[in-house]
Amino acid sequence: MEEPPLREEEEEEEEEDGEAEEEGPEGVLGKSPFQLTTEDVYDISYVMGRELMALGSDPRVTQLQFKIVRVLEMLEALVNEGSLTAEALRMERDNLRQEVEGLRRQAPPAGGEVNLGPDKIVVDLTDPNRPRFTLQELRDVLQERNKLKSQLLLVQEELQCYKSGLIPPREGPGRRREKNPLVTRTSPASSNKEEKTIIRKLFSFRSGKQT
Amino acid sequence: MRSSLMPLGPPVSRDRVIASFPKWYTPDACLQFKEHFHGQVSAACQHRTTGTVGLKFSKVVVVGDLYVGKTSLIHRFCKNVFNHDYKATIGVDFEIERFEIAGIPYSLQIWDTAGQEKFKCIASAYYRGAQVIITAFDLTDVQTLEHTRQWLEDALRENEVGSCFIFLVGTKKDLLSGAACEQAEAEAVHLANKMQAEYWSVSAKTGENVKAFFSRVAALAFEQSVLQDLERRSSTRLQVGDGDLIRMEGSPPETPESRKASSLGCC
Repeated sequence: MEEPPLREEEEEEEEEDGEAEEEGPEGVLGKSPFQLTTEDVYDISYVMGRELMALGSDPRVTQLQFKIVRVLEMLEALVNEGSLTAEALRMERDNLRQEVEGLRRQAPPAGGEVNLGPDKIVVDLTDPNRPRFTLQELRDVLQERNKLKSQLLLVQEELQCYKSGLIPPREGPGRRREKNPLVTRTSPASSNKEEKTIIRKLFSFRSGKQT
Repeated sequence: MRSSLMPLGPPVSRDRVIASFPKWYTPDACLQFKEHFHGQVSAACQHRTTGTVGLKFSKVVVVGDLYVGKTSLIHRFCKNVFNHDYKATIGVDFEIERFEIAGIPYSLQIWDTAGQEKFKCIASAYYRGAQVIITAFDLTDVQTLEHTRQWLEDALRENEVGSCFIFLVGTKKDLLSGAACEQAEAEAVHLANKMQAEYWSVSAKTGENVKAFFSRVAALAFEQSVLQDLERRSSTRLQVGDGDLIRMEGSPPETPESRKASSLGCC
């Protein structure tokens, strides 16, 4: 029952506004409910108050008016709460935007790289020369290379022995030791065994770690 | 590595035959002044009682800053080539060079290490068991000389105290002449004495002193190996009391049979 006198005060304002706004207070009922403001709710109250008054002083109308006022109060609270929440969210969004812009300005200008801190590097995955093998892989490759090189040297020496006629072509490598004046004659069996030992030792030779 | 056996290959080329003890480069920084092999060593070589020494090889490790010419030095000696283009050594490489010293076959296993810092952790794993450490520097770059002490320290850390011959080698001698060369050498000699190293100036490009240097390295390593072998065997004899196996210098003349036994004794 407090509403009607309030509306009456606003009536003049609304009429002034009404001249500017084509829609007038009635047009507010055509608005999307998500765009309603508290002002819109007051406009609706005014329109409905006017119509209720026109219905006269029937006690049923009075009763209905109580309920309508209550519903309009609820609507006002909802719209009010909604607009406050929206305002709070808008402010938070603006703050976050500013923060992001600040961080972007701090970052190094080159391609907007992320600062990883000391002892870190950024790898360009499109660079064909980028580092990609581990130290252990390199160690393994080197060990294998060394092993193969020692085998190659062994084979080259043996080939040279054949070429220089130190080992006659039809004789097996196991017998070549007998031709060497520095080595005492041994039976073919033990000579073979010695050869195996040498090869095994050379094959097992890696990185000098076993010394 | 020193205990590894070498295959008995073809005869070594004539310029790898060392009959008399190779001389030092400068008396101002040299490991020993002797002009002949140790008496015991000569006798052992004559009587072929060098045991397994002839089947072994000495491990030589070459260290120093990048681009001083470690690889070039080794390639000049082992392959008699010189490449003007610089190619960084990846981790480590090695060459085996066969000699005949006082009539006994002997080999050097020369380890060429990378000078680049990033490979240090790989190369340093190969320092262990070195009989000879060669620290190389560029005669035209005094900083590389200053760094040799650190390189030596790193290499020695992986080896027993006093077990290695140390050489300090100035490379690219062809780029210096006259007073500049003398100045650089004087500084190096000074440092070599502090490092207890023998000093050599070499040029891989011209080949100057390269063969003489490695012959010196081989002879010193060989002599030490023979002496160590003789000592080891004499102490074994004392412990085991198996005197028949070993014939020392001054022992009664050996029969061919006893000679055979001693040369096989440690195989």
